[in-house]
Amino acid sequence: MLSIALLPTLFVPGCRETAFIYAITSAAVTHAIARACSEGTIDTCNCETHYRGRPQVFSNGNNAAVANVRDFEWGGCSDNIGFGFDVSREFVDTGERGKTLREKMNLHNNEAGRWHVQSQMRQECKCHGMSGSCTVKTCWMRLPSFRVIGDLLKDRYDGASHVTASNTGHNRNANKAHSNRLPKNPKLNAIMSNSIHAKRENRRKQHKYGFQLKPFNPEHKPPGVKDLVYYEMSPGFCEKNPKLGIQGTHGRQCNDTSIGVDGCDIMCCGRGYRTQEVTVVERCNCTFHWCCEVKCDICRTKKTVHTCV
Amino acid sequence: MPGTILENLSGRKLSVLVVILLSAQLACFLIGLLSPSPATSQGILSTVCVDDNPDADNINRWFTKQCKEIHLNQEKATVGLDAKNLVFVVQMPRHDILDFSRWQQNLVGVLQIDVVYQVEQKLDPIIELTLDARLAYSDKTSTGGRTPWQYYAHAEEKRYMDCSFEDTTIKDKNGYPYNCSMVPLFELGAISHDYYLLNLRLPYNYTVQKNTGLGRIEDVYLHVIHMNGGFTKIWISLKTFFFPIIIAIMVWFWNRVHILNRTPALLEYMLMGLGGTLAFLNLPVEYLTLIFDMPYMLLLSDIRQGIFYAMLLSFWLVFAGEHMLIQDNGERNTLKMYWKHLSTIVIGCLCLLIFDLCERGVQLLNPFYSIWVTPIGTNLALSFIILAGISASLYFIFLCYMIWRVFKNMSIKRSILPSMSQARRLHYEGIIYRFNFLMLVTVVCAALTVVSFILSQVAEGQNKWDENMDLELTSALHTGVYGMWNVYICAMLILYAPSHKQWSADPICAEGEEVEFSRLPTEASPNEISSLTSFASKASIE
Repeated sequence: MLSIALLPTLFVPGCRETAFIYAITSAAVTHAIARACSEGTIDTCNCETHYRGRPQVFSNGNNAAVANVRDFEWGGCSDNIGFGFDVSREFVDTGERGKTLREKMNLHNNEAGRWHVQSQMRQECKCHGMSGSCTVKTCWMRLPSFRVIGDLLKDRYDGASHVTASNTGHNRNANKAHSNRLPKNPKLNAIMSNSIHAKRENRRKQHKYGFQLKPFNPEHKPPGVKDLVYYEMSPGFCEKNPKLGIQGTHGRQCNDTSIGVDGCDIMCCGRGYRTQEVTVVERCNCTFHWCCEVKCDICRTKKTVHTCV
Repeated sequence: MPGTILENLSGRKLSVLVVILLSAQLACFLIGLLSPSPATSQGILSTVCVDDNPDADNINRWFTKQCKEIHLNQEKATVGLDAKNLVFVVQMPRHDILDFSRWQQNLVGVLQIDVVYQVEQKLDPIIELTLDARLAYSDKTSTGGRTPWQYYAHAEEKRYMDCSFEDTTIKDKNGYPYNCSMVPLFELGAISHDYYLLNLRLPYNYTVQKNTGLGRIEDVYLHVIHMNGGFTKIWISLKTFFFPIIIAIMVWFWNRVHILNRTPALLEYMLMGLGGTLAFLNLPVEYLTLIFDMPYMLLLSDIRQGIFYAMLLSFWLVFAGEHMLIQDNGERNTLKMYWKHLSTIVIGCLCLLIFDLCERGVQLLNPFYSIWVTPIGTNLALSFIILAGISASLYFIFLCYMIWRVFKNMSIKRSILPSMSQARRLHYEGIIYRFNFLMLVTVVCAALTVVSFILSQVAEGQNKWDENMDLELTSALHTGVYGMWNVYICAMLILYAPSHKQWSADPICAEGEEVEFSRLPTEASPNEISSLTSFASKASIE
């Protein structure tokens, strides 16, 4: 099975940007799987939960489908969002054993990505008791929009924690944490037919893999579950570097009033920028009506554009 | 003169009874722990299908997941399409390999419409939706296939949705989600088919203002809530268990009353009525839903519960009244004496019944109906509920007043107790003690009900993500409370049954003490249910 390593780990430094990529990938996997589940396109994410006290009618265990149907009749289907987390944890974290600092960093950032999906979930409830009163109430979690998660992770990227290798007794914890994990290289189907214990163990380790990263600056707080972590400084993004996949900032548009990274001072790396006045054709005064019609005027506006040299 | 079992039962027998009842209660709670939660929801993302021929007038034209599908977030795919071309398709249950079972009892559908921000578009905070919803069903065939989709229901309904845009810090809001409320869609009183299919359209019409306030929709989810088969099974087994018991106790009780050769007292009638409504509530008609299509089950169970609660409330009122000496020298008490108090219950229950008929009654004809969508309907529903609430509060004022008077009378009786002889005093103190004990039981039961209601709200309401909950507390609370009221009424029937012990055989009388009751005018009228009441009337005469 593929690891998260869309980019080979060897060539990519453990910097801020990498942290962001790992976090958003694991968040995206969680999100996409949960969404696909509620679409009904993944067959394995139905009722994997075995209920306590349910009569064990399928002790032979041959017929998983029958078991599923019976589980569904007995206690309904478990939450698809939970399945998204489980798959993300199994799929994205595969190969990260948590032994080296880099692997710990990856695991931590993956977990942070999932944490943000979870933190943005909202609970919705419906009362359906006697005469529609709340004597019986059923609640479920609502999957957040991925845009919101992306924004949050971007904020975390801006405030990512610089960590360093710690030297005391963390290997033991890391190993312990991993002994609880499911076997490596499971097929997705196999995960689902696994026993409840594995699932429970995973749940318990939801936020932590059992290690604590140390902040680079000892006066800072250690990073929390929601923080992105990195341990190497980012390479320069000013000049083109095909080996690292860096495009450089030559010719990029910048904002001359901003003091952030999109500001011309920072983005152009002190090389200076060109200012042009251009006429832009834009859609404006739009009206929308359901379902698919957007009526817009075409407006021509003059804009000042700054480009890095 | 015979009293009730409560006064004549020895302490040992009473404690045995209490132990039996408490263990039954505990068993009810424990059996609930075995059960899954009462209901589960399943969120299903709708498939957006293109209807190339939207004007076709064939009610049995169904779109399934295997259709010409588009994604609404891809703007190019929707170019040239009209609102009537889009059909949101939801197949229930979510996965093809699963099918609904009749054990799952009923189905509630709630829509979640994800609206995203569109350039320069202003949404009203409250959007009026027009939903054209059609339901179809299908069944498994014996060969493992499915029957073709059959029409079940169709309606064009209005709904309201509150939408807000929370984050104002975003510069380019395009594509960001609105925060919209859930939209209740349908309620099916019975799951009598294996598969259901929803075809939902959101027609746009400017002239009649259909869906004109609607923004860009990205996703439509349907959350279907069904009862859990496991919970239903355990619930029915509880009912099946209690039903014969309560019938047996009622038969025994009535025999006891008849042995006495007197017309039964009002409280005895009330107890029989209470037992009867409980038996009706316990009657496991749910078994029939496994065979027959009974969409009126929701309404029926509401009515059954309503009758039971009405009877229970009336019983408390009469119970307090009968121990308060409002009878005039032992004249036969009838319900007429309580008409003022009972009318609060009757009015309250009638209001709720009318409300229920307006909501769930109409849903029998149109599962998409909701009384809450039109302003008139909302006002009507609210006024019925408020009226019911007023009656309920009046009832509780009456009840509390009566109980207060009972306790006041009792304290008066207590003050004259020392003037009595030792044996009789002990006897009466015992009666008062047991009466108080039962009052206490009632209060404890009511309090436990309230507490478990709050607990189940909390248990259901909490975010289960960080929890490692192995136990399903909600079900246990439901079965616990249900069992508690069964046990409570069984105890009432047993303890307030007439005793066969005769006072002549009682050591109090054997000692030759003056039997106070024999002097009472009430002695001739055999309607006195307990000697406590006789004692109390005697004291009031004195």
